[in-house]
Amino acid sequence: MKELAIKELLYKMADDLLILGHRNSEWTGIGPILEEDIAFSSMAQDKVGQSWALYKMLQVLGEQEPDTVAFTRNAPQFHSCKFVELPIGEYDFSLVRHFLFDTADLLRFDLLSRSSYTPLAQLATKIKGELKYHTMHANTWIKQLGSVEDEEAFQRMQYALDVALPFALGIFEEGPYEQSLADEKIFAGEVHLKSLWLEKIQETLSKTRLVLGDVSLISPELGGRYGQHTEFLQPLLDEMTEVFKVDPTAEW
Amino acid sequence: MNDVFQSLDPRINRLGVTVEGHLEAKSSLDQFETYEVFFQMKEGKPYEHAGIVHAPNEDMAFLFGKEQFSRRYTCTGMWIVKTHQVITSPITDHEQSAYDLLDHRLAETELNELSHFEVFHLKKRGRQQVHMGRVQAKGYHDAFKQASEHFGTEPALQVWVIRSQDLLFSDEADKDIWFTLPEKKYRDAIAYKSSDKINAYKERTAKQ
Repeated sequence: MKELAIKELLYKMADDLLILGHRNSEWTGIGPILEEDIAFSSMAQDKVGQSWALYKMLQVLGEQEPDTVAFTRNAPQFHSCKFVELPIGEYDFSLVRHFLFDTADLLRFDLLSRSSYTPLAQLATKIKGELKYHTMHANTWIKQLGSVEDEEAFQRMQYALDVALPFALGIFEEGPYEQSLADEKIFAGEVHLKSLWLEKIQETLSKTRLVLGDVSLISPELGGRYGQHTEFLQPLLDEMTEVFKVDPTAEW
Repeated sequence: MNDVFQSLDPRINRLGVTVEGHLEAKSSLDQFETYEVFFQMKEGKPYEHAGIVHAPNEDMAFLFGKEQFSRRYTCTGMWIVKTHQVITSPITDHEQSAYDLLDHRLAETELNELSHFEVFHLKKRGRQQVHMGRVQAKGYHDAFKQASEHFGTEPALQVWVIRSQDLLFSDEADKDIWFTLPEKKYRDAIAYKSSDKINAYKERTAKQ
């Protein structure tokens, strides 16, 4: 039971990071300015690296090797939330998603740095600074664009936030082992994480003109954790695995 | 003519870029101002000039500088300053010191309050400006004069002086943003050993 619970937790975290890492890497070469293109691409690469570390942990628990797990499954076998698979859209949406997801990710790993499951606690401690930069980047952009005088820029950010919110709430879809993870002091749970997240994003948004919708009135986009995805995930997987499938034994 | 541009890259096709048939005037550049970025590769090493980024403000310049100039190897700190806040001496060739080209008598005319200035030397052509240390002075001319007294015996093909208060220094507590950097070998072309692989491939195919 405990091992199943750990695997479920690791899979959803790893899949979120792999899929969002791949999505964000789609900006490489076409970012808004050179400097941001490089910064966003670097962070996308960090996310794929973090997913690799989690898949590696799963391998120790008896799952297949990271490349196999990452590149040979189909959409229904992915535990990522729907939020991360949505297309990159315009840069406003990608930035808002980066802000909402990475804030949750930083808080999640912060909770996990005190996890009774040592490998996860060690990884969380190790990548703390990496995640700090990611949220520093997101918060600085949100403050910048959320406070601009330019009405079009502001409206676009607000619209992106409104579109993203139901999907962002789907990050916190509860899994089948919440109680057991909490009892074993492995992870405090999605409900707890969500309340920390709401507080944190409100804190950043309060420094801007952006307004967060009433979360209690929004129905979250759920299902991702149980393999139910939008029509956007399978095409992403097909594209991501295209080169791998040409020669699965190739060494890079 | 409004054909959608077709690329081998699916991301480009998704952008729906149209190939338009008409002529248009080249538009003027719309750029952010520039900031100079300095970084420290290791604890105890002097800060060095890393390069320049475009950014709308210094916080954004910090975000950009971090990934432009410290996404490989190691880094323990970063300084950011607006380009026009770097005061530079003339540049010399070979043996002569840049300090010899300055009129240090001008220092006497400066009567501001004492403040701190960071001093950098270009020690060799083709290298980066290196931080030499900090001086207290009553203005830029005085800062160059003080720098000459403190660091004048060191090679100086060019000297830069920056008022300390104009610099954004990375926070001691934020050093951990570079913590995992040494592990990111995949950002280093050498880690892929591609020339070894190409040579092995050539050997393999030559034998056949």
